[in-house]
Amino acid sequence: MTNQVETSLGIPRDEFLAHVRRSLGRGPDVLHPDVSNPVLQETLAQMESRAEEARRRLEAERESLVDRFAETAQLRNWNLFRTGSSEDAVSYIVEVAQAHSGGQVARSDQSALTDLPLDDALESLGIRSVLVKRGDERTQESLRQQVVESGVGVTGADFGVAETGSVVVLPRQGLSRLVSLVPPVHVAVVRPQDVVGSLDDVFLFRRVEYHRNGGEMGSYVNFITGPSRTADIEMKLVVGVHGPREVHLVLLG
Amino acid sequence: MAEIKTAQFQSASGAAIKDPILRRALTQVGGGFSEARLDAIDEVGEDVWESWREEARRIKIHALDNLDYYLELLHDRVTQAGGHVHFARDATQANEIVSRIANSRGVKIATKSKSMVSEELDLNKTLEANGVEVYETDLGEYIIQLAEETPSHLVAPALHKTKEQVSELFHEKLGVPLTDDIEEMARVARVTLRDKFLQADLGISGANFLVAETGTLVIITNEGNGRLCTSAPRIHIGITGMEKVIPSLQDLAVFLRLLPRSATGQRLTSYVSMVTGPRRSDDEDGPEEFHLVLVDNGRSRLLADPDLRESLYCIRCGACLNICPVYGKIGGHAYGWVYPGPIGAIVSPTLVGLGQAKDLPQASSLCGACREVCPIKINIPRMLLHLRHKLVESPDESERAASTAEKIAANGYAWLMSNQTMLSAAKKVGRLAQMPFVSDGKVSRAPLPLVSKWTAARDLPALPKRTFREIWEHELEGQGEQQREARNRDNDTGQNGNQS
Repeated sequence: MTNQVETSLGIPRDEFLAHVRRSLGRGPDVLHPDVSNPVLQETLAQMESRAEEARRRLEAERESLVDRFAETAQLRNWNLFRTGSSEDAVSYIVEVAQAHSGGQVARSDQSALTDLPLDDALESLGIRSVLVKRGDERTQESLRQQVVESGVGVTGADFGVAETGSVVVLPRQGLSRLVSLVPPVHVAVVRPQDVVGSLDDVFLFRRVEYHRNGGEMGSYVNFITGPSRTADIEMKLVVGVHGPREVHLVLLG
Repeated sequence: MAEIKTAQFQSASGAAIKDPILRRALTQVGGGFSEARLDAIDEVGEDVWESWREEARRIKIHALDNLDYYLELLHDRVTQAGGHVHFARDATQANEIVSRIANSRGVKIATKSKSMVSEELDLNKTLEANGVEVYETDLGEYIIQLAEETPSHLVAPALHKTKEQVSELFHEKLGVPLTDDIEEMARVARVTLRDKFLQADLGISGANFLVAETGTLVIITNEGNGRLCTSAPRIHIGITGMEKVIPSLQDLAVFLRLLPRSATGQRLTSYVSMVTGPRRSDDEDGPEEFHLVLVDNGRSRLLADPDLRESLYCIRCGACLNICPVYGKIGGHAYGWVYPGPIGAIVSPTLVGLGQAKDLPQASSLCGACREVCPIKINIPRMLLHLRHKLVESPDESERAASTAEKIAANGYAWLMSNQTMLSAAKKVGRLAQMPFVSDGKVSRAPLPLVSKWTAARDLPALPKRTFREIWEHELEGQGEQQREARNRDNDTGQNGNQS
């Protein structure tokens, strides 16, 4: 057994690409002709100005945008709770936790959540709130076990998408991939300023991020649109297979 | 590579058509998916839908015409994100690559999310031979893995199984009690596979799209197994066909709009997961290693043939299966290889060799419904005709299909139809010759070798006493003339002015 990482198995890249070129009817040594793709030729500055324009547009229609997001999310089977009050938001999450958590909630470390006095409210009712963030004695392995034991996972959201009713989370430090996935109930807390109009908005913003950071936008993007479901047996819809069977959207405003 | 049974199309489709359980399932699936698809299109409106299709097609044409460029870009960007890209010429090489990664890292258990390419490669068998336990985790795939069968639909792999069959299967293989509750069956799969997810060292996924610009693998799922496969194990291998690459992150949006609506009528699947390299050092979790295996396995032959290249635009939504009158009667297994239905009838013959799959391009009425529903506007009927042409004219004798008798019959037919005197004579002879076999205006059992093949399954209308031409000659000739004259008279007097 070796831990050495082979950079490339199979046939060498250049040989593979040469064969593709031949198949395209070009000589194997001919590099691709100038691929003129205006999307890829866009400069970062151009992208940023488009993103800026998009932000202004979203800001101008913020109110109707958030309404539309709330409406679509319900159609996609999110349980919607919309409130301008942090206290109400906390009470709602606590209610969900009392019903489903089995005594333990896993939550990620995101500003939308740290702004809410959630941990205290849960602890006062004897429900353990596990912050899924590695630390001195909090290894990935022990945290994973705690997520598995939690009945409810609470996360924030990087985007809410009005077009699709999706909550987008970008796993990173403080945001485990598993909190919104492994517990049977997921609560997503979305701030109105994070709601965007369309998939195009999300991808434009991610693209800008990628190029601005010299080719880095993080390891994962997760679009979550309602509960886990399947219709693989006789086309009958069953909710909750490998992911959460119940999803709650707490919209702060 | 997966076992190739395309040569048995005739007997397999014959058997399938007589299977009542399959017929019921096919009606359910085809009807259900197609209706849901139409609802989803209605919601956005035909015009918008059409503009999405045009945009997606434009992107695919550009991506495939410059595939070398985008594969190179993809390779560089995946590598830059800390992932590894491996290129595989064929199934054997692809399987070796995955096995080598698994074995060199001491992998004992692998969980897989749905991947048609891995079905094509028969990857599980190779991994198991290398001592790796492999678990399919999509519910439909898990069912067919337990049953030791192959998928029968691109989107709903186990559609051919009833809930009773699934219940018996779970009872036999997993030791759980029999039940007729589908939710309970899903729960059993969830509980059984949850442990595997947590024990697995390796997660294997396919890819719906690969974004060259950012080196991102995109999978679209509903159950959550795809997220688990790409999040829980310490190694993630994505394995897919080289044609899945699209240029930019911005190109992805239109495909996310088209694919779920075309597949199941969903506006978006429950999950869209986008993987760019392995976990970063400060991420809370995620695989330490990310590998992308890009497979040719005959795709370059489709790329090289300008008449077939557009088959590589396929995003595997299954809409052409759901609408196809042939698929709707025989189901997926009869096609004899991994990719069934209209698109499969093009892809399979080229990937496994036309000589081995001569019946597949014929398994179509050329009604054109597949082209109409295709989100990428792939002209499937044109390609089926192209393959049929090859079956007759190919310089490679092993690819030619028509028997000598069929050729003589076709040539004779062409000669007869262009020769009026002989045609009338033949009709007269035919009317006499058919007499012993006609009943109720139909020939139900013909004695001639080629015609008997037809009448074995359906009736042949008998030659009528008089043909249209004969009726025309004897009774109608001249009437047209009279009508025209009458119309001209009307026009002259200003009546019925526009109804010429």
